[in-house]
Amino acid sequence: MASALSVHALEKVFRNGFSRREIRALSGIDFEVAPGEVFGLLGPNGAGKTTTVKILLGLTFPTKGEARILGLSARSPESRRRTGYLPEGHRFPGYLTARQTLSIFGRMAGLSRGEVEQRIPALLSRVRLPEWADVKVKKFSKGMTQRLGLAAALIHKPEVLLLDEPTDGVDPVGRREIRDLLREEAARGTAILLNSHLLSEIELTCDRVTVLRKGSVAATGTIKDLTGASALGVSSQVRYRMVAYGMTPSLVGGIQQLDASIAQTNGHFELSVRDYAHLNQVIDRLRAEGAELRELTPLRSSLEDVFVDLVKTGDLDSPEVKPS
Amino acid sequence: MRALWARALWANVEEVFREAAARFTLVAYFALSTVFILLFAAAVNLDVVDGALAGAKLFGKEIEMRGGKVEIDKLVLGFEMGFSAVLYLVGTFLAIFATAHLVPRLQEKGTIDLYLSRPIGRVPLLLSRYAGGLLLAAFNVAYLMVSIWLIVGIKTGVWNERFLFGGGIILFAIATLLAFAFLVGVVTSSTAVSIMTSYGLFFMASILTAHEKIAAAMSMDWGASLVHAGYWVLPKTAQLGQAIVVLVSGGTGMHRPPPPVDPWAVYGTTGLFGLLALTWACWLFSRKDF
Ligand SMILES: Nc1ncnc2c1ncn2[C@@H]1O[C@H](COP(=O)(O)OP(=O)(O)O)[C@@H](O)[C@H]1O
Ligand SMILES: [Mg+2]
Repeated sequence: MASALSVHALEKVFRNGFSRREIRALSGIDFEVAPGEVFGLLGPNGAGKTTTVKILLGLTFPTKGEARILGLSARSPESRRRTGYLPEGHRFPGYLTARQTLSIFGRMAGLSRGEVEQRIPALLSRVRLPEWADVKVKKFSKGMTQRLGLAAALIHKPEVLLLDEPTDGVDPVGRREIRDLLREEAARGTAILLNSHLLSEIELTCDRVTVLRKGSVAATGTIKDLTGASALGVSSQVRYRMVAYGMTPSLVGGIQQLDASIAQTNGHFELSVRDYAHLNQVIDRLRAEGAELRELTPLRSSLEDVFVDLVKTGDLDSPEVKPS
Repeated sequence: MRALWARALWANVEEVFREAAARFTLVAYFALSTVFILLFAAAVNLDVVDGALAGAKLFGKEIEMRGGKVEIDKLVLGFEMGFSAVLYLVGTFLAIFATAHLVPRLQEKGTIDLYLSRPIGRVPLLLSRYAGGLLLAAFNVAYLMVSIWLIVGIKTGVWNERFLFGGGIILFAIATLLAFAFLVGVVTSSTAVSIMTSYGLFFMASILTAHEKIAAAMSMDWGASLVHAGYWVLPKTAQLGQAIVVLVSGGTGMHRPPPPVDPWAVYGTTGLFGLLALTWACWLFSRKDF
């Protein structure tokens, strides 16, 4: 299937003013997003997520490589005709009302006055701001501004949606609503690229993820791929929640001698093993010592664990800065 | 494609006007203008007999007419000449004051993303803002000039259309300075710097009207060349002011009519300066990383 958006060997070096310093924000990243897919770009602050999205929108120009939307180069304004964008920390002019904001930005996307006026009521209901249509934007809370931004991104019915930290500053209920809305959009075939440093957001919303670290792709895959232990070459362990009777201190010590880690927390144990063979070895030992196994539940390694593993290989501050 | 440009243009113009309406400075400007116009209308009480002024009342007080009667045409003309000169200065400064923020505000973090992510190209976007700013300035100038012109006409029966044409030159000067303010805005993203440099340009260029004298007083050749070059490159702000007064007067009523100007030397070089400033602003804006 043709991808809705793609970046290929994308590099970005910022040259800052007179200091002649180079900041390498992206060093050759690749990914593609298909129509109807919710794709997550995950990484700590300064990883290059915003830079990537800005290049896709022609806000920033790539140093090398290519970014395309719906087959068009990101440099061409026409590529933005069917693209919606929710910028990070956006600020709409405070003197406009919600209705005026949507009208002005809708018309800048090529809609006629009639088309915008007809779409605004339904759109404001969709982002749950119908009663705020004629209130000035400067009176809006952070969450409301974010929802208005979403409405502005959707007004021209885009086929590609780029969202930079969309749930930033939004309460949990609002987050859920935004997630639902994105899911609806994806269901009707919109390709969605979602930037976040919040792992839980990505995990809950996205089909596929690319983890960025200091401007490079640390991993790409489905949530399942990434959280399934071995896929990453990251030393990972399988963790279990275990309830067992007859666990003596000597037995716990014995299990530790098998190179498994075990710790008691609130009446249950948390057990970490290398793999299934190792797990069975531990259970054999446990049974042989007369303990009775009541419960054994795998604790899925969450994306957060993977994420921390991926990014802790380097320091988390900004990418390499080198004088030119 | 054409529809997109036109729609984006009007959306931007609308936004510029909505912002202006929301800004206190501009509301205050219109309020003050209106008060001025109303006071003017109420205060001027002319007694016109047979095309001549028999008596005039200002704030209810009789004005002494030296030598008996004054020809009403001349009085009106004198007033309109003076008023157009004042408006040239005040109107230009107010227009820059009211519009210089258009680019810096557009370029603010969190705002520029919203505009540039629309399918409108960067150059049409910047030009739309420019058009919006200019239209706003035109409204300001027209509001004052047309009202004064109407009041004077109604009260005296003297209708001098040349007074209105003077507004055209004022707008031309504003267009040139605004282009420069946009250029500074694109580079510095600062409203204060845009305003100050535009005012500075206005005065600097006015002083350079005397470039011959300044250059003659300079000891170094390159200094003199620089002064001459500066004069030819920069807008002819002082001569434009003069041109307005001459235009409004229709060549009469001046004690010492200034020497006729070469239109290319005044309007041509000024227009060229504005055009270059705007082109440069567009070029820089279209290459900027945000
Ligand atoms: N305009 C810019 N000039 C210089 N450096 C920049 C600019 N924009 C971003 N950077 C740098 O590029 C790196 C990546 O930033 P960004 O893409 O904003 O990261 P993220 O969105 O993942 O937090 C950071 O080190 C940041 O300081
Ligand atoms: Mg970011």
